[in-house]
Amino acid sequence: MIPVSVITGFLGSGKTTLLRSVLRDPAYAGSAVIVNEWGDIGLDHELLETSEENLLGLANGCLCCTTRGDLARTLIDLAARRRSGAVTYHRVLIETSGLADPAPILHTLLVDPAIAESHRVEAVVTVVDALLGAETIARHPEATQQAMLADRLLLSKTDLAPDTSALEAQLAELNPGAPILRAVQGAIPPDVLFASAARPEALRHWLDVTVTPSARHSAGVETISILREDPIPGVVLPLFLEALAEHAGEKLLRMKGIIRVAEVPERPAVLHGVRHVLHPIEWLEDWPSADRRSRLVLIGQGIPQWWPARLLEALEEEARG
Amino acid sequence: MNPPALRALVADSLILWGVAGRVDIADAGIRITAGDLVLHVAPALPEEAPMRWWLISEARRRPAASMLGLLRSLRYALNATSAEPARARVAAPS
Repeated sequence: MIPVSVITGFLGSGKTTLLRSVLRDPAYAGSAVIVNEWGDIGLDHELLETSEENLLGLANGCLCCTTRGDLARTLIDLAARRRSGAVTYHRVLIETSGLADPAPILHTLLVDPAIAESHRVEAVVTVVDALLGAETIARHPEATQQAMLADRLLLSKTDLAPDTSALEAQLAELNPGAPILRAVQGAIPPDVLFASAARPEALRHWLDVTVTPSARHSAGVETISILREDPIPGVVLPLFLEALAEHAGEKLLRMKGIIRVAEVPERPAVLHGVRHVLHPIEWLEDWPSADRRSRLVLIGQGIPQWWPARLLEALEEEARG
Repeated sequence: MNPPALRALVADSLILWGVAGRVDIADAGIRITAGDLVLHVAPALPEEAPMRWWLISEARRRPAASMLGLLRSLRYALNATSAEPARARVAAPS
């Protein structure tokens, strides 16, 4: 499986600078890079120092809408050329346009069978301008979406903004599970950014976040957290996920969860979902921390605050008989 | 599930589906009023297992074996189904 990571962030946030820095790391120098630019003339790809064969530009539209099909075709074509030996790469890095909503892109990566059979989504990294990020998020819903869907948030230009505490608080409200990293000129070890978001070590930050049953609102987007002390019967999980997808799938941007399943309480189940598309449930060997409560975080628009918890409770009650 | 909990879940579901309506406790279940349409949800009797719920309209009684089925029937009865119903899809295992 070829790992795919998505680098997103609002216009001017520093995505290309980050990508240039990442590609200077020997372990990432041979990555296939797909750059999506908004406008007729692509410039960003000119700034990237990588081989022509491994760099593809998708101009004339935004990846999340007009060029989604292009993304699928590009990935499939690249994989075919890789199989034939025409190109060599071990991972794919996708830089979205500054106005892209990452959700449809992830959707394409996850559900297109021709892509999913050979590619694995590892992480969504959202670059946030430390100086202008707060204002950008307040004014542009695209920036909010990008922050909320991140596995990791990277504050760029921190040398220009000595105090980022307010922005960090704003980001923690939007996406409590994503660690906030910092970089100047994209200088950060790529492995820190692109490690699989579902691995236990990557979950640690997310688990450290105090999750309390709540809903937070920002720009019409809510973060809903569910906490369960008691293990959840295994039969409830598929029913809950099915109902969630069926009734809230259009409004659900992202879901992450770690679940203590009653039948196998010693092995937590990790849930990841984008809209109504779920990653296969990952069963960890052990709990990453002493906290063994089930925790579920839903990010969505227009989902009543208590609906998911009420639904879960109803299904648990049915399972108990 | 007691009637207040059922009412709360169904009232939230109406909001989720964008349906203007009212949910009241009625007998052992609830009554849903949306425009001219009046529906009742009643728990099934123990001898009706595996059915758990009845969705009752003037025209018919629909059984449901789980809350998942009840919500699906209710949404359908309220004509609040999405143009493209979203079913859970599982991405290819890595």
